[in-house]
Amino acid sequence: MILAYAVIALVIGTVLFHFLSPWQFTPIASNWTAMDDTVNLTFWVTGVVFVAVNLFMAYCIVRYLHRKGNKAQYEPENKKLEWWLTIVTSVGIAAMLAPGLLVWAKFVTVPTGASEVEVVGQQWNFSYRFPGKDGVFGTTNIRLASPDNPFALDPNDPNGQDDVLVTSAELHLPIGKPVKILLRAKDVLHQFAVPPFRVKMDMVPGMVTYFWLTPTRTGSFDALCEQLCGTAHFTMRGRVIVDTEADFQAWLAKQPTYAQARAVPAGDVAAGQATYAVCSACHGAQGEGNPQLNAPKLAGQAGWYLARQLQNFKLGIRDKEQYAQQMDAFASTLDETAIRNVVAFIGSLPDAQPPATVAGNSEKGRGHYETCAYCHGGAGQGVWSTNAPRLSHMNDWYMKRQLENFKQGLRGSHPQDFSGAQMAAMAKTLMDDKAIDDVLKHIDSL
Amino acid sequence: MAYVSIADRDNAHALHDPQSFITKYIWSQDHKVIAIQYTITAIAIGLVALTLSILMRLQLGFPHSFSLIAPQNYYQFITLHGMIMVIYLLTALFLGGFGNYLIPLMCGARDMVFPYLNMVSYWVYLLAVLILVAGFFVPGGATGAGWTLYPPQAILSGSPGARWGIVCMLASLATFIVAFTMGGLNYVTTVLQARCRGMTMMRMPLSVWGIFMATVLGLLAFPALFVSAIMMTLDCLAGTSFFMPAVSAMGQPLGYNGGSPLLFQHLFWFFGHPEVYIVALPAFGIVSDLLSTHARRHIFGYRMMVWAILAIGCLSFVVWAHHMYVSGMNPYFGFFFATTTLIIAVPTAIKVYNWVLTLWRGDIHLTVPMLFAIAFIFTFINGGLTGLFLGNVPVDVPLSATYFVVAHFHLVMGVSPILVVFGALYHWYPKMTGKMLNDTMGRIHFWITFIGTYMIYLPMYYLGILGLPRRYYAWDESIQFIPPSVHTMNQWITVSALFVAAVQLVFLFNLVWSLFKGKPAGPNPWRATTLEWQTPDTPPVHGNWREKLPVVYRWAYDYSVPGAKEDFIPQNVPPDKLAPAGHHN
Amino acid sequence: MAQDASITGQPAAVDGLGGVAADWSGDKQAFPVPWGKAMMWIFLLSDTFIFTCFLTSYMNVRMSTTVKWPDPSKVFALNINGHEIPLLLIAIMTMVLITSSGTMALAVNYGYRRDRAKTTALMLATAAFGVSFVSMQAFEWTKLIVHEGVRPWGNPMGAPQFGSAFFMITGFHGLHVSAGVVYLTVVARRVWTGFYDRKGSYETVEVAGLYWHFVDLVWVFIFAFFYLW
Ligand code: HEA
Ligand code: HEA
Ligand code: CUA
Ligand SMILES: [Cu+2]
Repeated sequence: MILAYAVIALVIGTVLFHFLSPWQFTPIASNWTAMDDTVNLTFWVTGVVFVAVNLFMAYCIVRYLHRKGNKAQYEPENKKLEWWLTIVTSVGIAAMLAPGLLVWAKFVTVPTGASEVEVVGQQWNFSYRFPGKDGVFGTTNIRLASPDNPFALDPNDPNGQDDVLVTSAELHLPIGKPVKILLRAKDVLHQFAVPPFRVKMDMVPGMVTYFWLTPTRTGSFDALCEQLCGTAHFTMRGRVIVDTEADFQAWLAKQPTYAQARAVPAGDVAAGQATYAVCSACHGAQGEGNPQLNAPKLAGQAGWYLARQLQNFKLGIRDKEQYAQQMDAFASTLDETAIRNVVAFIGSLPDAQPPATVAGNSEKGRGHYETCAYCHGGAGQGVWSTNAPRLSHMNDWYMKRQLENFKQGLRGSHPQDFSGAQMAAMAKTLMDDKAIDDVLKHIDSL
Repeated sequence: MAYVSIADRDNAHALHDPQSFITKYIWSQDHKVIAIQYTITAIAIGLVALTLSILMRLQLGFPHSFSLIAPQNYYQFITLHGMIMVIYLLTALFLGGFGNYLIPLMCGARDMVFPYLNMVSYWVYLLAVLILVAGFFVPGGATGAGWTLYPPQAILSGSPGARWGIVCMLASLATFIVAFTMGGLNYVTTVLQARCRGMTMMRMPLSVWGIFMATVLGLLAFPALFVSAIMMTLDCLAGTSFFMPAVSAMGQPLGYNGGSPLLFQHLFWFFGHPEVYIVALPAFGIVSDLLSTHARRHIFGYRMMVWAILAIGCLSFVVWAHHMYVSGMNPYFGFFFATTTLIIAVPTAIKVYNWVLTLWRGDIHLTVPMLFAIAFIFTFINGGLTGLFLGNVPVDVPLSATYFVVAHFHLVMGVSPILVVFGALYHWYPKMTGKMLNDTMGRIHFWITFIGTYMIYLPMYYLGILGLPRRYYAWDESIQFIPPSVHTMNQWITVSALFVAAVQLVFLFNLVWSLFKGKPAGPNPWRATTLEWQTPDTPPVHGNWREKLPVVYRWAYDYSVPGAKEDFIPQNVPPDKLAPAGHHN
Repeated sequence: MAQDASITGQPAAVDGLGGVAADWSGDKQAFPVPWGKAMMWIFLLSDTFIFTCFLTSYMNVRMSTTVKWPDPSKVFALNINGHEIPLLLIAIMTMVLITSSGTMALAVNYGYRRDRAKTTALMLATAAFGVSFVSMQAFEWTKLIVHEGVRPWGNPMGAPQFGSAFFMITGFHGLHVSAGVVYLTVVARRVWTGFYDRKGSYETVEVAGLYWHFVDLVWVFIFAFFYLW
């Protein structure tokens, strides 16, 4: 008997929960309102069935619960009833399927004149490419992927020269224009999903997949990877910013084309040396770093990492950090070329192992480091494709402070610092200072 | 062609070697002993999976408070959790456990047709479980590729256990398939060829039908997994490129070239979807018998139920790509698979209706098995209906890979069949051991499991609608659309899960306690009609039927037959033994 | 003995479709065959799915691969004093296997007649054919691996999937044949020792036959897909 009431209670509870739940679809930002409609339709049809069938069951329990002397009625079959139920069900199913298929028909037919943009996924970040003036994407060959050619474009393909490359994980799209999103993956399966857009699709290495939409609302929306792609899957983020046409064009104009990107000369060591004079005051003549002045070792660090951090300082992305202000001041004096040069010079400095300063348990540290190794490499050598800097033979005291900054949100919380955000998420897995010391101790031993 | 009768084979037990009548417990060829071996092993490994799920929940509910759950561990946990629960627990328990125990008894056979093969099947299964567990201890740990084991990530360094872990998993699966095939051939042949006199197909209890159809599905679906396991092992160890296109991992180009990741997904789901019905159909069958027995009423629309089982079985082979709507396969497939998928709802719906209509005008006894059976109907309707969301392709696109899916398949697979497993154990334990399970403990177990699991999974639907992605180690604050309330809800879910998991211990205790202290059951405590309750001894001895095989005169559901003095007529009671004669099917 | 309606609940004889259903769902047995045979049929059905999956995967990768597919008639050509004779070896192998099916059929036939000597002899002959098939396959593999440098992970002629799929599928089939040879010899021995005379039925011979014919059938498909396509 209680069971019957329990069932009724659960049905009512479910319905209430449905209407009172604070968790509903994110406000839609694309043309796919029809999808929401089919979802709601499905909710109504199935909801009715759910309530009806369960309440009838509850009724049966109450009404036909065993009482002294009553006997079940014997009626093995009732063709008429069974056929009716079958028909009603089929109608209900059709009522959901038909609209669904109509919406899908829209999904599979990309409107002519839709602009194209390519999203490239790799462990564990997104980057983007526009076809440029000629409207044609250059061919790619994964074997060409390198820090200088992250998109693995074929340098000899004329179509590729004017392709616009967006290395940041932030993509801008114009409002009100249908856009076909082409998806490509370099290593494993990924997915490009922006919940307010509703539509999403896996990225599959070796093929180009797609979906299309028309943004209908300006604003900034999180893009997530929703296909398990390895240990850092849950930190794989991007952002789509829907702009007015004008803002969009302005933004697009600022992005380099492949040709431009290739045209930039290699850094000039001699010129860099001059620039470095300023830096040496804190970071030391050999870029060996100086704990007293809180200036970390630079020699031996990956050039692309140093360059990006200098940019970050310039843009004030690392403002919240304790000692960042001084660095901002210097960085702001450097232009693109200067940065290239000084980085080139630092690259020429001898790389010596700094003294270890943290005291921790290297054994425990090895355990923690397993996680770090997925991005920074088993030997802490740093991996360009994951944007993970070198850790081995770097200042442990500096890394300690950075880990704390990451945990406290002083670093990696700036909206433009995507890789920083990833590190922040990972730093949280080091529960306490003890864990931090341990892992650093292990890194010292690498 | 006319109906030709087949020569009588009462001497079927000539196929047993007489010595083996001395019951052996380890190297036993007795289907009942093998069944119990299967059951115990499956439950044991199931508890491992349960523990893993609790660890997962702890991480999701209280992120970053347990240093032993690093991201890679989390992914290893969900992978093993999913795989164990689906294959090593449910498939093994329903087919190896209940299949082995019930088929010969319910069909009136003395044993499986090939007892020796049957015995080997169990030991190979045990081996598979051991290989699986070994995966935890190989260098790099167990695989963390998700239970779907998608390449390329499954065998590339970005995922945990990308080398030895995955190889162990694949080896274990292949071994399991061998074991299953040995058992499965037995079950199918026994059902088809070794029924006792009078036991026509259309008189078999629905439990047998469900298990039979599930086994057929298994025999036809596992090959796809077997083949893909071989190919992925080669990709991993021999450097072939079946599933591997040209890729660069960690910025380094690899040697692979020209393979197709989608091929694996097609193979996996060609197995994977039938697999979900492999765990569903036995539940459907068993629950039908529980309902009918404890409602003292024949199952309603028996023939429709049988046809529905067959229809579901056949349809389940043409819906697999509904797991791949957003996989990047040719989107035009969506039309076909959405249609077939939703059509499946019709036969399933018929089953649901007939279960409810069995209660209708029944004489319902709310025994513990009955509680579980009715709870099954409730949760299955809920989980099944949300399947219709996911089946309808444009509805699936926003919901796919979110917690909506997680909620769907837990209610429909993680809870419903598990509820049936429990109901079935309370129902048949008396026959297996001669003792009743303790009723009070049973009811405590029921209420917490039923309500608790619903508390776990109902909210997950809505987290999924909000857009919460599955297979996330943690959702940090930086995601705009995730409000703090989500984290509170996750804690709530975790707490409910802890309760449910804890109460399983009560059940386990009950299993052991009742073995010694349980009150004697007698041959037929539920006053049921099916053959297993009519055995001369309880628990049945080796050979089940002493000298004479039973002869069946009626279908399995002669409950409350008008005019009959008892409210049930066992299948083997001849018409002349009761006046006036009961129903003939 | 006849089935009385009170037991089956079915009339003694039904005609037409109803009759088929009645036969099939009749009591005790769905098919009027021994258990072992029924079981073998079901196993072969399952095995069919395995090979179907293998072959579909092979076709799939053959389409998905980016490099051109080696020309089988060249790769599998046999060099007899100077002339490249395409598919010669394969032709022979296929012939051998087909013949073995013939001898197997005869063996089954004599099995029915309870002719121990002939049955044994023919089964051993079948096994012998099987052995020669496997050894020819071994020869072909060595030729491919040693002389033409085909490896599972790549080959000089083109798409790496060619080697992978070839070794995997023919290897898997080769295993079936080898297993069959063992199976046949065991059964043959039992025939010889009169085991089945005592048991009173040569059914096992026929069951072994089923398996053997199946393995041949599969080969025909592999032949068609690998060597002719
Ligand atoms: C026992 C296991 C089981 C069962 C029975 C089902 C049943 C169904 N499942 Fe589910 N499913 C899974 C286990 C199961 N599923 C698992 C494990 C996954 C996830 C795998 C992974 O990705 O990890 C999954 C995922 C899954 C997906 C992929 C989602 C995604 O990844 O994007 C889809 C999509 O179509 C789907 C559909 C269905 C449908 C339509 C049914 C139908 O059979 C349901 C039919 C039942 C009913 C419909 C209820 C009863 C009917 C009525 C009461 C009357 C209805 C009347 C009207 C509607 C008028 N399921
Ligand atoms: C039968 C299948 C089954 C079962 C029973 C369960 C049971 C549970 N599952 Fe799981 N789960 C899966 C199949 C199952 N799961 C699958 C296939 C996945 C996907 C993996 C992937 O994404 O790769 C998954 C994933 C999954 C996730 C998503 C992880 C992620 O995406 O990040 C979560 C999160 O909460 C979860 C939680 C739980 C919990 C709390 C329980 C339970 O604890 C619920 C409460 C307990 C019970 C209902 C009792 C269960 C009884 C036993 C386990 C048997 C013991 C037997 C006896 C005592 C007789 N499971
Ligand atoms: Cu990329 Cu998940
Ligand atoms: Cu499915």
